[in-house]
Amino acid sequence: MKWRVIGLETHDAYFNMALDEAISESVRVGSSPPTIRFYNWEPNAVSIGYFQGIRDEVNLEVCRELGVDCIRRWTGGGAVYHDFDGEITYSVIAPAGTFPKNIIESYGIICGWLVKGLESLGIEAEFRPVNDILVKGKKISGSAQTRRGGILLQHGTLLYGLDLKTMFSVLNVSRQKITDKMIKSAEERVTCISEHSDASKEEVYEALVNAFTEGKDYEFGASSIDENKRARELSQEKYRSDEWMYLR
Amino acid sequence: MIAYSSQKVKEGKIVKVEAQFDNVITKLKISGDFFLHPEEVLDDIEKTMLDLKRDVSFETLVLKIQNIIKNYDAQMIGISPESLALVIRETLK
Repeated sequence: MKWRVIGLETHDAYFNMALDEAISESVRVGSSPPTIRFYNWEPNAVSIGYFQGIRDEVNLEVCRELGVDCIRRWTGGGAVYHDFDGEITYSVIAPAGTFPKNIIESYGIICGWLVKGLESLGIEAEFRPVNDILVKGKKISGSAQTRRGGILLQHGTLLYGLDLKTMFSVLNVSRQKITDKMIKSAEERVTCISEHSDASKEEVYEALVNAFTEGKDYEFGASSIDENKRARELSQEKYRSDEWMYLR
Repeated sequence: MIAYSSQKVKEGKIVKVEAQFDNVITKLKISGDFFLHPEEVLDDIEKTMLDLKRDVSFETLVLKIQNIIKNYDAQMIGISPESLALVIRETLK
């Protein structure tokens, strides 16, 4: 099986999530190979899990003030603040049969690629089921998976830097006031690459590519014209729509 | 009457339930940071709760959720039928 690797791209939240879905569709019908992609979010964005309520999780007023996009993902899990400078996001899209039926085991395989990438940067990391990667007991990466129409889509983020103040201002964190104590508490639970390594973001990206492709037959490629067209449709008609945004 | 409950359940994720009811449940919305495959199963779980009596037992709720999970061969991650039933029961108090 030959994989397609789509190198680091930057899109807005709506196109990023729409492209994951468009690629899932094309992998399902066999017009595209299994795909690994890496991407940034610009503008910065908050994504919420499929089952979350956007009003519960996101301070929409602050997002508007800061120009932060808000989007509901196709996958479950929690709310995530995507900072352009502070993270790299990946997606793995392949026939579900490529991975174990057991969802935790499949998280373990893909998160294992991230762990290897971190190790190559000299950062000792561990997979913590369900969907986290920890460094010295602190979360550095979270992932979310869905399986629809026989296709597995897993996407996740790897934190490069931390901007906790903005993160807490855009997320409704238990509706508590943002306090120094709260930020200190988060610092004790969350970490990022820059706290453990001098590697540049480019070097981190290269480490991820090497780890994700190790032992695989692959080639670099781009999303197809059809995938881009479908992603633009989904971006406009689904991911930007109020119906989708306020689904729960 | 509209009631709302939110709990971090023992399997690790947050479950929020909003229910509208008088003697029977007329509306129920479940949200949270859990995983459920396939995702559409949650709509069926919500629908199944409609018209149940407000004092429906925990055991009945568990059974109804379990049946849907079984019918779809669904997988819940970070929640369980029991923990979801517990939050629904709490909301209906």
